[in-house]
Amino acid sequence: MNVKLKKFLNLPGIIKTTVLLSVVFFFAAAGAQDLAAQKKFSKTYPASKNVRLQLMNRTGTVTVEGWDKDQIQISAYLEAPAANIVPQSLSGMILINVVKDNQGRNEVGNVNFLVKVPYSSSVDIETVMGNLNISNVAGTLVRAHITSEGDITLTNIAAANVSAENVIGDIFYDGDIQSRGNYRFISTKGNINLRIPFNAGFKLVATAPSTRSISLGAFSGGNMNFVSEGRRVYGQNGDGSATITVTNQRGSISFIRR
Amino acid sequence: MNCEHCQDLISVFLDNELDQPSADRLREHLAVCDECSRVCEDLAMIMDVCRLDEDEAAMPPNPQALWCRINNVIESEVQAEILKEHKEQEKAAAAAESGWLPRRWNFSFMQLASAVVGIALISSLVTLIAIRNYGAPAGSDLSSNTPPTLFEKILGKVGLMETPEQKRSRVLKEREAAIDYWNKRVEARRAQWNTTLRDAFDRNLHEIDQAVDEYTEILQENPQDELSSEMLDSALDEKMELLRQFSEL
Repeated sequence: MNVKLKKFLNLPGIIKTTVLLSVVFFFAAAGAQDLAAQKKFSKTYPASKNVRLQLMNRTGTVTVEGWDKDQIQISAYLEAPAANIVPQSLSGMILINVVKDNQGRNEVGNVNFLVKVPYSSSVDIETVMGNLNISNVAGTLVRAHITSEGDITLTNIAAANVSAENVIGDIFYDGDIQSRGNYRFISTKGNINLRIPFNAGFKLVATAPSTRSISLGAFSGGNMNFVSEGRRVYGQNGDGSATITVTNQRGSISFIRR
Repeated sequence: MNCEHCQDLISVFLDNELDQPSADRLREHLAVCDECSRVCEDLAMIMDVCRLDEDEAAMPPNPQALWCRINNVIESEVQAEILKEHKEQEKAAAAAESGWLPRRWNFSFMQLASAVVGIALISSLVTLIAIRNYGAPAGSDLSSNTPPTLFEKILGKVGLMETPEQKRSRVLKEREAAIDYWNKRVEARRAQWNTTLRDAFDRNLHEIDQAVDEYTEILQENPQDELSSEMLDSALDEKMELLRQFSEL
């Protein structure tokens, strides 16, 4: 056991209690300060099953989850200085543009979104910086685009058009590959991991020119070819009806059987 | 009295409805003016014919003479056409003798063969250029080291086809111009960003620039490396997008 810890345990009870209470008070005060600095925005909209959510954030984490209700519930936690948020409910679409709503302001704090959407919604999320998480969505489109850095996590997705793009950060996709679908994953530096069904039919072009680290896992086989000195893999799995394009300029690409 | 006034009055005069002084002045003019007197005669004839009985008017006064006149008119028109054609033929013949205009479609076998070969060559060239420039989708170009054929090199030399280097140079110039524009906008906004944003921007720009440098270096060593060229395009696009988005903050 650590010597300092032994010394602490040997101290009289009153001193120990005082030290522990001080520590608890310090963390509680810090937490309370954080909470006081953060505002919350919350709004719920009735929505059709195939509604489209279009969200453009500046900085902060965006989490979108599919749920079994014909509603879109937007919760936003705004760090100081709090951003303006003016969601618009257009026909068949909920539009939130934090960039536009705060244009001209010098200081805007992070906005952390938690949005719940009907399962079959289309989701189009963009942010300048911050993580994007989308799960349980089965609409026509899932688009996650980070202008600079942040991780993209797409789980349990069943959309025909999926696009994920960032500069620095990892991309993880766990979902279906639908017939005649189009799947595009692009990063400059990070790891791209795709977990897809083994029986999915797709044509693949995967390019990792700098690291040449392309791991096909269970999908490596007769119809996959490494070209350009291992910088690119192209080929077909199953009927080849969908298209998967993966480009990682300075990172790795891995395929995992779902 | 002038001719116009005279011709206006002729009809009234022939109907004997013109007053005496005017009729005298008209007669004086007709005596000295051939044109007006001819008009007067013609009009008098027409009026005479009109005054004949209806049956007589239906029949031509002299059918044979009338037929002769019609015949003469037709012949004179036909003669004029024939003359015109003759003149055109003479012109063509003269031009053909001087060698500048085609003599109808009289080609020799060699001429025809040359024309066919020429057409085939031109259409092959056009097809090749079209396929090279527009046909190949980005993803399908999977082999990165495809040196241009001799034919393509020749086309490039004569300016009929853009060489990969020329194409890359053109695209790079376009991108650089756009990047310069967005860079200026970013510089104008940058002072207003907080430290976190500034650091993130610099970090990401540095990462993209490293990729750009890497591909530029590869392309200097191997200008035919199309995969690097493609990746360079992609990295420049990302750089432009990064600048554009941050310039709006």
